[in-house]
Amino acid sequence: MTRIILNGREVEADPKQPLIHACHTHDSDVPMYCYHPGLTPVGSCRICQVEVKIGEMPPRVVVACRTPVTEGMIVNTEAPGAHDARRQCLEFLLKNHPLDCPICDKAGECDLQDYSFNEGQGEGRSVEPRRQLEKRKSLGDVIVLDQERCILCSRCVRFFEDVTKKPQLTVAGLGSRSTIETFMDRPLEGNYQGNLADVCPVGALTLKKFRFQARVWNLKKSFSTCGECSRGCSITVEVLRSAEVKRVRPRYNPEVNDWWMCDTGRFAFPAWNDTERLSGSATHAGASIAPKPSADPTAALDEIAAMTRVASAETIAIVASPWITVEEGALVKSIADAFGAQATFVSPPANDLKDDLLHTGDPCPNRRGLEELGFVAQTADEVATLLGGSEAGILIGERVGSLIGAERLAAVPSTSRIAVLDTELALFPAACVSIGVPTSAERTGTWVNVDGKRGRISAAKPAPTGVTALTHTLEAILARVARVGVDG
Amino acid sequence: MVIVKRKELSLRERLYLPEVVRALSFTFRALFKRKITRQYPEEGLPVTEVTRGQPRLTLLEDGENLACVSCGLCEAACPAYAITIDGQETDRFIEREPERFEIDMLRCILCGFCEEACPKDAIFMSDELELADFTREALIYDIDKLKRPKAALQKRIDYFYKVNDRWRKPSSTS
Amino acid sequence: MEDFLVILLKVAAIYGGVIGTAALYTLAERKVAAWIQYRIGPNRVGPWGLLQPLADGVKFIFKEELVPAGANKLLFRLAPMMSAVPAMLTIAVVPFAGDMTLFGVDTFGAIAKIDMSAFYVVAIGGLGVYGIILGGWSSNSKYSLMGGLRASAQMVSYELSLLLGILSIVVVSGSADLYDIVDAQSGAIWRWNAFQQPLAFGLFVIATFAETNRHPFDFAECEPELVAGFHTEYSSMKFALFFLGEYCAMIVMASLTTTFFLGGFEVPFWADAPWVIQLAAFGAKTAFFLFLFLWVRWTLPRFRFDQLMSLGWKVMLPLSLLNVFLYGALTSFGAFGD
Repeated sequence: MTRIILNGREVEADPKQPLIHACHTHDSDVPMYCYHPGLTPVGSCRICQVEVKIGEMPPRVVVACRTPVTEGMIVNTEAPGAHDARRQCLEFLLKNHPLDCPICDKAGECDLQDYSFNEGQGEGRSVEPRRQLEKRKSLGDVIVLDQERCILCSRCVRFFEDVTKKPQLTVAGLGSRSTIETFMDRPLEGNYQGNLADVCPVGALTLKKFRFQARVWNLKKSFSTCGECSRGCSITVEVLRSAEVKRVRPRYNPEVNDWWMCDTGRFAFPAWNDTERLSGSATHAGASIAPKPSADPTAALDEIAAMTRVASAETIAIVASPWITVEEGALVKSIADAFGAQATFVSPPANDLKDDLLHTGDPCPNRRGLEELGFVAQTADEVATLLGGSEAGILIGERVGSLIGAERLAAVPSTSRIAVLDTELALFPAACVSIGVPTSAERTGTWVNVDGKRGRISAAKPAPTGVTALTHTLEAILARVARVGVDG
Repeated sequence: MVIVKRKELSLRERLYLPEVVRALSFTFRALFKRKITRQYPEEGLPVTEVTRGQPRLTLLEDGENLACVSCGLCEAACPAYAITIDGQETDRFIEREPERFEIDMLRCILCGFCEEACPKDAIFMSDELELADFTREALIYDIDKLKRPKAALQKRIDYFYKVNDRWRKPSSTS
Repeated sequence: MEDFLVILLKVAAIYGGVIGTAALYTLAERKVAAWIQYRIGPNRVGPWGLLQPLADGVKFIFKEELVPAGANKLLFRLAPMMSAVPAMLTIAVVPFAGDMTLFGVDTFGAIAKIDMSAFYVVAIGGLGVYGIILGGWSSNSKYSLMGGLRASAQMVSYELSLLLGILSIVVVSGSADLYDIVDAQSGAIWRWNAFQQPLAFGLFVIATFAETNRHPFDFAECEPELVAGFHTEYSSMKFALFFLGEYCAMIVMASLTTTFFLGGFEVPFWADAPWVIQLAAFGAKTAFFLFLFLWVRWTLPRFRFDQLMSLGWKVMLPLSLLNVFLYGALTSFGAFGD
């Protein structure tokens, strides 16, 4: 550790990081556009200028993101010279930046907007017209580029160079005619394009899926964990009016995903907004006509207790979804133990999304957590065989039905009686009970990722009326089957 | 403590009847005075440009499209949470327009904050004051009920610039 | 047979007239109140708001009937009738015109002509307070009870002055028949009792205000203190009956004041006027008192209850007694000799 004096205070700084990192870790809010902690610093925007005095030399203004930390350097971020330099720099950046804030999706979380509000002048001095460039340039399926708003910080260029190691963007042209371009106007490729919208400090790169969907200050943000692969990236789920998930963004977690996440996880959220859900519960006998769900789960829970009571212990199948949390898994295990049955979970085959960066290719977010609890992983075919040979079965958790597959479930003979705790009504011959469960945007719990790191998921929005927490439902089932065990 | 001595009444005052007669003559004369009642629905209220009526959305000169770009600042400024906006993309030069713009007139307190917050001269307090309907739903106004040609709001717009020109200039978006 | 039909016609005409007048009187009250306060008053229903009483009646009929829990149901229903009926009964003996011939039948301008009609008036009129007291008591509400109590105390106090005023008229006129009393005032205008006995006239007018519970003596209602007094708990047509009773009582009191002090139906200096003219004269004189009720109501503030009582017992009663004594003595010395 190197000791420096920051704004009159002696602090310790990491010598491997640039000066701006030391400023940020010690509560000195030096502005930055081109600097991103996950990318190579280039010092192109010059907004992070601070006053530095080393040894006997007179103090001078330098860019904090390209200045290495040296022992005993005296840094003053609020010096008049530094302020002036930053303000002039800001004025140049704003020279060609359109006054688009009412339209721009970045407004409200835009660095340029924030620093302009803090430090900038109210009115521009420039009389020349602003640059007229392309405002809706599509860069593939994910990203739209607004060239007018771009301040040429080159974070997006460096993202592809540093993070995915497959450069796709470049700064083309010279001087005031510089723009961000793809090679030969080819659309962007890869599973990490969405991160461009996060690294862009202004509203130049925006997500097509989020474009004009909501104002960011209306979004309620909750911390959660991505469930699309066993990596379990930390995410922020952003919900509009407590009803609709509008956006999912990666959250900095140095142990798992740093600042990034893949597009598969980022754009998986529309399933959470599906309103065609099973709310409440229904008891039925595999009917092809959908029974009307009731808000009171008592009848459905009693039915589960009844059908497990008549079945002999070794023919009861307990099959969980790999999306259930550790807490829910423990309850499922207790239910299985009450019957003396083996708790299993459906393990879908690995997909081809695996890459070197984040995606593991294994779609089960809590595989490791369930295996630690003593669950046995089984393929869909094995589960189908298990169900076919059992007298009673309970399928637990979101997506459990679709993971097993509709055809396999339809083939289960109706001599088996199966209860399904899923987000939709179970309509196959053996199904007797359906109970609606919350999605992973509507419950809290813990997943254990492939490396054994724990990731919290939290309720970003309320579950639909009639859907109670899965832990409550499982506790109610456990209370009923435990009593059956005591009664004999 | 202040002790206030009650005024001694004169004999005339104590007799009371002369005062009764005086009062009666006053009210009798009042019978024939000019009446000040305003016959409201027929006569209407005096509306000046200072009056803050219900908020209305202005249409652009083309008479079709709203000036609103659904930036959400009025929504954020609204102290009664009466405004709800959803945006969508358009092919026009201004890329954004409201898909849904609702003002819950049951909640609106006619404070005019939306008018002050608007950066696009898209919402102004009109001179429309009457607000009554048979259902609550009908009082949640959507774009069709809110939009007005700019000419209908011109008096208020001029007044607004007159009182606010110290810090505000007509919007000069590129 | 024809006699009977004529009597029936008179009954229908007089009661119809009184109730119609009471309806218009409610409108007049609102109009006068409005004019005094520089307003226009009701003008939406019919021309100049003339159909407003009809609209009010319709509204009253469609209002919900409420009977408070714990109310004495029988008396609660009876009280409005007790309030309206005595006022109407009193009208029976009021002479609206002199002798007349209707459809060839010789008759007179009242429903009944009885010797003791002056006392009949007082006897029946005194019953009116029962409606208020019973209404106040049976409502099972403290406000109503207070209103009823005040009404009874006030009625007892002022009925004395009223009675004594009538007594001095009866003494001077030498008869308790209202026709005789009117006859005694025929001829010149100064033969009206108002000029003959100004003190009695003044006391009688003030007592009528108290007797009808009108401002400035409306302690039975007294909104700021008692919500609405004795009729706080009443709604719908039962309230309307109280209302009707109050306005009928005012009409009765106005016509009695006319009869006792302004020569009744007599037209000054024209003793043999046709009955239509006499009826018109009676109407005009009564209308003045009716207007006086409204005029005073919208001019004077309400008294305090102790002021009301001290005025009744310490001023009006001694003056009334003095008046009776004075005119009794004058009469016995032959000052009004026939």
